[in-house]
Amino acid sequence: MSGYTEGIIILLCINAIAGMGVSLLTGFAGVFSLGHAAYMALGAYTTAILTVQYSMHWLPAIVAGGIVAMIVAYFIGVPTLRLMGDYFAIASLGLGEAIRLILENWQSVTRGARGYPGIDPYTTLPVAVGAFLILLILMFNFINSRYGRACKACRDDYIAASLLGFNTANIRILALVLSAFYCGVAGALLGGFLSFIQPVMFDMMKSTELTAVVVFGGLGSMSGTLLGTLVITLVTELFRPISQYRMLIYGAVLVIIMVIRPEGILGNRELPSFFRRFLRRDS
Amino acid sequence: MKEVSHGLETFLQQVINGLSLGSVYALIAVGYSLVYSVLLFSNFAHGGFLVVGGYACYAALKVLGANIWVASAMSLVGAGIVAVVTERLAYKPIRERTNVTLYLLIASMGMSIVIENLFVIFVGGRFRALPPVIPTSPVSLFGLATTSAFDLLSLVASVVFLGALQIFLLRTKWGLAIRAAAYDLRTAGLMGVNVNLLVSIVFFVAGALAAVGGIFLSVRYTLYPQLGGITIKAFVAAVIGGLGSLPGAVVGSIILGLAEMLTAGFISSQLRDLVVFSLLVVTLLVKPSGLFGKNVSEKV
Amino acid sequence: MAAIIELTNITKTFGGVRAVDAISFSVERGELAGLIGPNGAGKTTVFNLITGVYDPDQGSIVFDGEDITPLKTYQVIRKGIARTFQNLRLFQRSTVLENVMTAAQNGLPYSFWEGVTHLGRWRGVERKIRDKSMDLLARVGLADRALQEAGTLPYGYQRRLEIARALSLDPKLLLLDEPAAGMNPEEVYALNDLITAIHRDFGLSIIVIEHHMDLVMEICPHIVCMNFGAKIAEGGPEAIQRHPEVLKAYLGDEEETA
Repeated sequence: MSGYTEGIIILLCINAIAGMGVSLLTGFAGVFSLGHAAYMALGAYTTAILTVQYSMHWLPAIVAGGIVAMIVAYFIGVPTLRLMGDYFAIASLGLGEAIRLILENWQSVTRGARGYPGIDPYTTLPVAVGAFLILLILMFNFINSRYGRACKACRDDYIAASLLGFNTANIRILALVLSAFYCGVAGALLGGFLSFIQPVMFDMMKSTELTAVVVFGGLGSMSGTLLGTLVITLVTELFRPISQYRMLIYGAVLVIIMVIRPEGILGNRELPSFFRRFLRRDS
Repeated sequence: MKEVSHGLETFLQQVINGLSLGSVYALIAVGYSLVYSVLLFSNFAHGGFLVVGGYACYAALKVLGANIWVASAMSLVGAGIVAVVTERLAYKPIRERTNVTLYLLIASMGMSIVIENLFVIFVGGRFRALPPVIPTSPVSLFGLATTSAFDLLSLVASVVFLGALQIFLLRTKWGLAIRAAAYDLRTAGLMGVNVNLLVSIVFFVAGALAAVGGIFLSVRYTLYPQLGGITIKAFVAAVIGGLGSLPGAVVGSIILGLAEMLTAGFISSQLRDLVVFSLLVVTLLVKPSGLFGKNVSEKV
Repeated sequence: MAAIIELTNITKTFGGVRAVDAISFSVERGELAGLIGPNGAGKTTVFNLITGVYDPDQGSIVFDGEDITPLKTYQVIRKGIARTFQNLRLFQRSTVLENVMTAAQNGLPYSFWEGVTHLGRWRGVERKIRDKSMDLLARVGLADRALQEAGTLPYGYQRRLEIARALSLDPKLLLLDEPAAGMNPEEVYALNDLITAIHRDFGLSIIVIEHHMDLVMEICPHIVCMNFGAKIAEGGPEAIQRHPEVLKAYLGDEEETA
């Protein structure tokens, strides 16, 4: 396999892990975040600092990156997720920017805006694919369990959910914390893939990209998110020569999907049942 | 003694700068809150309206050679129209079909990206300075402190526009209808109000107010396609004041402006953005629904 | 016999309007009680106050010997109260079975790790949740529609589904908010049978809100009548039917709506 193809596959795995995280939160728990790039940044920097500064092995360092993102998400989620709707979106936007600013200004630890070079290239093809597969299985198990049903209940009707005995705030916090873990791990893998990270890589545009993928694939469909990741990552590669149009297309796609088919490509269905329905309609 | 008086002078100066900056945030935050109060979603394309206003003013001054009054008028109307068109194209089809505000939120995120990148592609990403049509000469305040004419002007202009908005909302038929719609859009529709026209008026007003903010911000920071990103601060101000509350948006904006300028004056100007977000965190921890926010409960 | 629920002097005002005005009544354990009154009398508000959707301004609610007034909604539900809604609140995009399983899972736990690995108790407990839900669906006559999307069910069936979903919480007290709304006479007749059968077989206490007097008169031996937020009468069906205040409330209501 050529280095280029290998790189694309690794990138696909990383994007898919982050996408699954955001998909859980937005598609399954109905919470819209505009700051998830910050959790990727936390994972990336934690892992980079642990491996470079403290020569920790990459595997526990990646897990630590995910856990740091989880802890920060917990403290952000507890006050904000008790509120409904847009408060969390704006809080996540503000806090995402705040985390990026801290990374830029905390020179002694993060080396500031110019970035953190010299990270061990630990994200090889097997590592990326392995992490993706493990996290994929855990995610599908999660959404096909009592926890997945609880998330969907809170998303569809939080009042009905609380009247069925669900502590809706706790369920949203659980979804947020897990999604932060996925994004943290994705960020850690990205650092090991590029060997270099910079706060500006994790800005609002990155957060928007994450959400765009999930919306494109279909809110409430995990396989839709994977399909969305595949399409958008490949399209981004194709459009690299005309990259100034890339963001314009992202924006337009978000609007057009919301206007024409707000449920995304797959709707809230997973791939197998989507095909079943599709075939039935055909015959 | 001298140091004390110097400290006092800096303090006064930064308070005036802070009020001036805060009042510009207020213009943006009030429009955003107005849209929120009627349609119950965060219009993230609001920053785009501001950028449109800035570029419209720039084009009128540079290309058409208009004077500042004509240019401002064109800017306000231009941004207002773009706001209305945005609503008709992207939001109206969604709000007519569902009441899921998440879809509107995502569409507005998309429109924000579209507007910003249209400018990047067709106008270019470079920073532009508005011609010196707004005086920025230093002004002495009774010998106590010096500030710039620009700061005073933006403060006065903001007060005038916010006052005009207040009169519009309290004294006119459409103002009354908007306030009724903020209570419940569907009821307003049932009472025979033309809901689509009402929403368009709300967007026009919000866009025009954003354009005023856009003109002042492009004098303060120069003009570039990402200038709309500054609306994050107006959003934060609206949350601190309580989403959907217009007085809350004004008070939150003033608090933010003061906090930013006092941080810049006495601590470090690199930390001003961090202070803004810390204020957000503190508000969410202490009074999550904001200073003037009310806890909305859904009908069961 | 002890009371399963006792409301004492409950008051709730919304913007100066007394939606519920110093209401007191109690329901005995195992009783099937009716809460009637004209439109806007405050019946649903009483349910919202019991289930903690609103906090009362005054008064106390004691359920099963315990003061539940300050509890949050989900805590009240976990004490053993379940309810249905006047304007249905099903999870429209989920299947009929999923709707019931979502509620049924609350008494049948497994850990987070068992959930994400599908090891340990996961398989057994999930099967129990499914079996229990299917039993309840069979009970309300929806077993053959288990895999249909809930939003596509006919109206009367959606009401039955809500009842099954509420029952799956194993409540001690079931609150039914206008279960017959929008049903034709035939469906109301079948619903009568269902409610009495549930009451008999599950050993529950039930409070039914009804706008239509006939259904309540037929099945409830104990009736509370409200108007303008206040209790105006309480007693058996015959006493209620003859009560002058009740007659006035209902006739007045008909004059207004006519």
